[in-house]
Amino acid sequence: MALKKISLIIFILFLFNNKLIAQETRWIDDIVPNEVLDGTSFKLCNNENQVIQYFFGSNGGVEYNGGKSAINSLFFSQFKEVKNIKESGLIRIRFIVNCEGKIGRFRLLSSDLNYQPFTFTNIISDQLLKITKDMNGWLPKKYKNKPADYYQYLIFKIEEGKLIEILP
Amino acid sequence: MKKNILVISFIILSVFGYTQPNCNAYLWKGDTLQYKACKYYFENNRYYQFSREFHKVVDSTLAICPYFAYAYREKSASYVKSGNFIEWKKYMDLAVKYDTISYLPVRASLKYKFFADYKGTIKDIEILESHTNNIGYTSNGTYHLQTVKALCYYKLNEFEKAISTMQKYMKSSYYHPMIYDNLHMGMFYLKINDYNSALKYLLAAKKIYDFAEVEYYLAYTYKALHCKKKYLLSKKNALKLYNNKTYRMYDPYNFMIGQISKNDILKL
Repeated sequence: MALKKISLIIFILFLFNNKLIAQETRWIDDIVPNEVLDGTSFKLCNNENQVIQYFFGSNGGVEYNGGKSAINSLFFSQFKEVKNIKESGLIRIRFIVNCEGKIGRFRLLSSDLNYQPFTFTNIISDQLLKITKDMNGWLPKKYKNKPADYYQYLIFKIEEGKLIEILP
Repeated sequence: MKKNILVISFIILSVFGYTQPNCNAYLWKGDTLQYKACKYYFENNRYYQFSREFHKVVDSTLAICPYFAYAYREKSASYVKSGNFIEWKKYMDLAVKYDTISYLPVRASLKYKFFADYKGTIKDIEILESHTNNIGYTSNGTYHLQTVKALCYYKLNEFEKAISTMQKYMKSSYYHPMIYDNLHMGMFYLKINDYNSALKYLLAAKKIYDFAEVEYYLAYTYKALHCKKKYLLSKKNALKLYNNKTYRMYDPYNFMIGQISKNDILKL
């Protein structure tokens, strides 16, 4: 009898958990936290459903200490061209900047130059991910006079293993 | 007065660069499916474009009429703003498929701006050129698409083509002065080391509306021409204007072609 009760509880918990996982995110492309991928050190300042987009209350383009030229200097000096792997396309690394300017929850998306899904060799994507994760100049943002967490992305245009341009 | 004309032009073109359809127009053409879809969309859409509710309304709209191009364009919008090139292209291509003339300008505008797809933008613009003489403006109204074509050539290091494209456009019957035209021409001439031509356009830009980028490229030009006094004055002006946020290039979504940061001025 006790075993039946326990099994029922476990079954109900299983259904409930699956329902939570299957719930849609608030917005398209919202990043669901994942302890395995993200660890536990990165924290939002506000609730999950209060993360805004980078262009809310924007001062224009990316808000990084030293501006776009600082981002370009960082990546173009550190990214090593992968000459023997002639891969081309776009890589997006999207993440959250919290109200303290700390970053976390990195997610990759990549395509070929025809916008078709394409997975780059690790040598290319891992380099970009590492440099991105080490960035420490993201400016905290306020939205409606309150400290905000915001989604930010960087898109890297790669041509034949060489970094060509960074957006936005 | 000239500055006011430019500012007003910018505002008007920003509004008309992207307009929503008149649903009754489909009815007049006898297309009841698109009419119903259009009505459904505008009666039910009160959601933020990133939200799941918004996308459900769009999906329901497309269930009524799968060739209602406007809905595909709307669906693509949040993806381009989140940098999701795969999903954006999928829906944007469908908008272009079902209404080529209306949505090719949008696709062209966004390809170069968000994804540095300069060749793709030029290709889209050339398709448009085969259909019409005056290909119109970007979806946000900032540029005429001929200026975009010139900017794409510039980014592809084809500076002579950038110049000739812009010159042809500026001499055309449909040319309408926009705020960055002379600045960009100045930038193009700098790339081929034609400092006198660059100066001509940059001074024209300054006369109409002075902002940080104009002064920066002027400083750059004066430095190249060994005019130290003018170089230092322009550099100082660039910094002063930059520090006043109103007087610099601005786009909420990205760093524009030719836009500068404070570091650029300090390093000059």
